[in-house]
Order: sequence, then C-alpha cells, then structure tokens
Amino acid sequence: MGEIILEVEGISKLYRLGTIGTGSLKQDLNYWWTTSILKKENPFFQMAGSDSVKTANQFLWALKDVSFEMNQGDTLGIIGPNGSGKSTLLKIISRIVSPTTGTIKGRGKVSSLLEVGTGFSAELSGRENIYVSGYILGMKRNEIKNKFDEIVAFSGIEKFIDTPVKRYSSGMYVRLAFAVAAHLEPDILIVDEVLAVGDADFQKKCLGKMREVSKTEGRTILFVSHSMQAISNLCDKAMWLQNGKKKDFGEVSSVVSKYITGVQQHQLRQSWDNIEEAPGNEFISFKNVELIPHLKSVDQPLDIRVPLTFKFSFWNKSDNVLLSTGFHLFSYSGECIFDIPAAPAYFNKGLIEGECTIPGNFLNDGSYFISLIIVKDTSVQLYYFEECISFDLEDYRGEIKWYGKWSGAVRPNFPFRLSKAEDA
Amino acid sequence: MGKKWEWEIDAKTTDWTWNLKELLAYRHLLFSLVRREFLLSYQQTLLGPAWMLFQPIVTLITYVMVFGKLIPIGTLPPALFYFSGIILWNFFQDSFIESSGTFKSNINLFSKVYFPRIIMPISTITTHFLRFSIQLIFLILLIAYYAIFKDFKINFTVVTWVFPVAFICTGIISLSMGLIFSVLTAKYRDLYNLVSLMTRLLMFLTPVIYPLASIPAKLHWIVVLNPLTSLFELFRLSLLGKGTVSIPYLTYSLVFMILIFPTALWMFNKNGNKLIDVI
Repeated sequence: MGEIILEVEGISKLYRLGTIGTGSLKQDLNYWWTTSILKKENPFFQMAGSDSVKTANQFLWALKDVSFEMNQGDTLGIIGPNGSGKSTLLKIISRIVSPTTGTIKGRGKVSSLLEVGTGFSAELSGRENIYVSGYILGMKRNEIKNKFDEIVAFSGIEKFIDTPVKRYSSGMYVRLAFAVAAHLEPDILIVDEVLAVGDADFQKKCLGKMREVSKTEGRTILFVSHSMQAISNLCDKAMWLQNGKKKDFGEVSSVVSKYITGVQQHQLRQSWDNIEEAPGNEFISFKNVELIPHLKSVDQPLDIRVPLTFKFSFWNKSDNVLLSTGFHLFSYSGECIFDIPAAPAYFNKGLIEGECTIPGNFLNDGSYFISLIIVKDTSVQLYYFEECISFDLEDYRGEIKWYGKWSGAVRPNFPFRLSKAEDA
Repeated sequence: MGKKWEWEIDAKTTDWTWNLKELLAYRHLLFSLVRREFLLSYQQTLLGPAWMLFQPIVTLITYVMVFGKLIPIGTLPPALFYFSGIILWNFFQDSFIESSGTFKSNINLFSKVYFPRIIMPISTITTHFLRFSIQLIFLILLIAYYAIFKDFKINFTVVTWVFPVAFICTGIISLSMGLIFSVLTAKYRDLYNLVSLMTRLLMFLTPVIYPLASIPAKLHWIVVLNPLTSLFELFRLSLLGKGTVSIPYLTYSLVFMILIFPTALWMFNKNGNKLIDVI
C-alpha cells in the first residue's frame, strides 16, 4: 500500500454549448458556404446583433484544472451537486472521452462501472451475457472461466442461467450484471452510483463486496454517489467538486461535513435590500424568504429528522386588501408534495411576514423547492414567487443498513409496532 | 518499481494508437461479439442458420425470373452467374451498411465503457465474412453439380486460385468505406439514410446482375470507375472462367484499396474519441 497508482494532473474538459458542428449536414454546409466562400459572419448567430456572437459561442468548463493523486488501496468518494463534473471526471479516467487539457498517469488495469449491465443483450442467455459483458469490461477468457461459478453463485440465479435475460425480472437482471462487475479484478475500479439498484439484501452484498475488494485485496476505488451515507461508509478519502473545480479533498468525514454545511448555506435564504430589485409587482414586493433548519449543532447534516421553518416577508403596496398566501412544496421532479394556505386577513400598506414549520421526520430525502403564491380576495393571484427556496434533505437511516432509495413522497414516522399475537 | 507509469491519458488525439497488442488482448471480445451476432440472428427462427442460404437463393430465383430475360449474361448457367454476384454483393453491402452505423448503434456502449472502438466494425465484417464463406461453399458445390451433371466445363488454371483476392479486397474496401461513413453518419445523421440508398444505386454500377462485357461502350467508363467492378469480374473469371479483367483496371482497384484503407483507419481513430462528445 501507499504507492502512487493514479496521478491526475490539471485535467480540464471543455464543452461547447452553442455547438455548430452537431446539427445536420445542411447546417454544416450552410455554415461552410457562408463563412468560407461568401466570407460572411456565421449565419446562425446573426439574428440578435453582433453581441450574440460572443454569447452563442458559450463554452462550458465541465472540469477545470482538477488534480489529485491516489495511492494503492485508497477509496476515494467524489461528491458534488448535479452538473459539477463528477461523471465527466470518471469518463475521462475511464478513457471514454478525452480531456481538453491535462494528463492522467496510472498503473495497472482500470475498469469502470458507469452503468449496470453494460453490453448485455436481452436475447442472450445469462451464460452468454456473462461472457460478452465480461469481455467488454476487459476480462480475460480464463478469468471468466475460473470465476464463472462464483459469479453465478453471487448473483443467486443458478436456475435461470440458460434462460434469455429478457425473461428475467429486473432484480435478477441487475444482480447478474453486478455479479459480473464485482468479479472484475482491476487495479483501479471506477464506480458511478450503481448501488442505487437491487433489493436491500443485494445492496448490502454489493457494498460489502466493494469494501472487501478495497480493504483485503488492496484495490483502488473511485466512487461517485449522492448518498453521503454510502460514501462515508465505503471511502477513506473524498473529493468535493463544485462547478468543475476541486473544492476540497481530504479525509472523508471532514469533506462530507463541509459539503453538507456548504450546500446548506447558499440555497436556503434570499433577501433584498432594495425594493426596486426585489421580486414582485405593483401590488407586492418581497423582502426576504428563508428556510431555517432547526439543527441541534452547527455541523449536523440537514437530514430528514430536522424540522424546517419557512419564513418570508413582503411589502404590501395597497390598503385594505384581503390577503392570503399559499405555501407550495415541490419535489425536484416537479411533483407537488403539499399546498398549505394561510388564513386570509385584511391588511393595509406595510411589511407582512409569515412562517410555517414542516416537522422533522416528515419529508423523504431528496431535493425540494418551495414556491409561494400571494392571493387577493381568496382567488385573485397577485404574485407567484416560483422556486424561491431550494433545499436538499439528506437521508438518515439510523440502524437500518440498507442504502436503496426509500420510496414515497413523504416518510412520516407514524407509530408502527409489531407484536406477537400468539405462540407458535 | 518506483514511479513507473504504465499508461497515460492526455488531450492529444493520437493517430495510430491501436497497437496490435491491445487488439490482441481483446480478441475474445471479438469472438464473442461474432458469436452473439449469429446467436441473435438465428435464435427463435424456424429455419435457423439455413437463412444464410435461403436468403441468397430466393434472391437468385427472383433475379433469374426478372432479369434473366432482359439482360444477356453470356453463356454461363444463370444460376452460377447470378449466385456468384449475389453473394459477393451481399457481403459488400451488408458489411458496409452495418459498419457505417457503428457509432450510431453502439453509442450506449461507447459512452459507458472503453475498449478499442474498432473491435465493433471488425466484428461486423467478420460476421458477414463467415456468412459469405458458407455461401461460397454452397456456390462451389453448385459449380461442382453443374460440372458433373450439366456438362459445365471448368478449366483449372492459375487464375482459378486467385478468387480469394477478389473477396478479400472487396471486404477491405467495404470495411474502409464503412469506417469512413461511420464517422460521417455520426456527425451528420442525414447521411445514414443516404447510405442504404447509395448502396442500392451502386449495385447497378457493379457487375452483379450483368457482366461487364454486355455494357455498351458509351457507358463502359462509368462502370469501370467503380473500383468494385474489376473485383467482381475477377471473382467470376476465377471461379466460373468468364469475366472481363484487365491489368490496368485491376491495378486501379488495388490502388484504391491501398489508399482508402489507411485513410479510413486514420479517420476512425482520429475521430473515435471526439465523437462521443458530439453524438
């Protein structure tokens, strides 16, 4: 252990947003004709005047100058919000896409599991698929032969090994696919959230297998996940990516707790000093919106146990109106979780505030946003402040050792007891 | 030991990174992909592998009935004439069309795992080559039948033994064009639809359903411009003893192949990694 096995130096990846080269042949010919033959400006960016040339050619640095090193036997968790470049980094290290700048040097075999069941064909039997998928993932013939029985036993589908996988249940499919992947013997293993599949039992097996692989066999693992629990459980080190840049790198516990508090701070409040710039219209203007988590200590993660108070204040610009507000909570996918109206009341000009508390142990983990509607005379909409607050609730499982996605929009902690009714 | 790196990734798009060693390491993948292709094609079908012969035979019957009266094919037995053209053409057409869709149809795989991308088109052409080989054996049996029962004269000369040159060159040209078009169709989706149309038209510029000898002098140059023409004629000349092959035209075909093959490999390799960002 301790020897450097992977060195990532100044990796950047640039994507063009307003790409010109990806359209149809017609567009490209048109582009070539106008720019090269007629010597005119780019035909696609002319509509909005000359400034648009700059904006249309926007570039996006999916990764910017990321460097780190890994020693043999390290397990590195990569965390960061969506779009922070985690997957791009994994793809570059796996040689699927090439970096724009920078170099990566390493030793030994690299295997990447960016999806479950890479190279599976529905028509083929489980046996055939183990071979095809194994080869695609870079296994040798003898490796597969030697481990075939082990793979089948791990997946637990012995009886169906000669059945086409299209007849498998999705759980069986995933188990077989993971079993192949788990028996790869790379020096560096790259894993992208494959744990979010399968039933509880199987997940435990997968995490266990990965831990075993890194601890006892000295393999190096790079692991991307949104689940802080899984990362904390599996990894020794963590890297926090934010907008393509390395924000932090170090011991897993310190990076994860910094990440959790860091994410909390910047999404949970908005306030406006200047009434002109505040969101609103001729009837009302917002002064501030805020979500206050009732944390027991500063470094407690914002998880599903924490009660949340939503506070807001706005300027009412007219006299003697019957005002009411509606507090809408949406899941990240846009589903409305609830809509709580405040009792209507008459107000004169001035600052109005309101608050509503969501109890702890009520929402499921996930990302949410809050929209606030202000209504006159119980039915006329004055202003709808969409997505004024967004927040993530971390998962908390306590003693439950299962890492799958907990289903349901809410996860209330209603009393639920099992008791013995009768002796056998 | 110490700090000795075994591999390195950087921004340069390398022109010739396929070292044979890497390809060799993935040879089992190639075999299993070919195997998969055969299993997938004939699983759950009534005729199974017999489709490999059934398809060209049905085509043969159609051609004999449709073109037999219209186009003079010389003194050769029609079955032999058409069948030799059909199988070589199918080999070319199927491997070209399928390999030109390499990126389009494998994008899910290519964006999830690394292996030498060229394995995919190579497995395509290998699959079609095996299919062609089986059809070729059938053709040889057919020739033997005609020679024994139908009084068809075969002259064994040196030329008889050059028929592999014809289909090997056809295969290389097909693969090369497939590689080039796989890059182009990935960039320009429109082209993929054009490819099958073009191929169908190209068939009429290739001596598949007619011998080169029956082409009017005025149109001769168009057909000869097609580098496949000499190869098809060579194929018939060597196996059936009738064909119009001249050294300059054959040289033209070979030079075409020698130029297009490295170009195609270079283009495929150069663009292979970049295309994943674009598709």
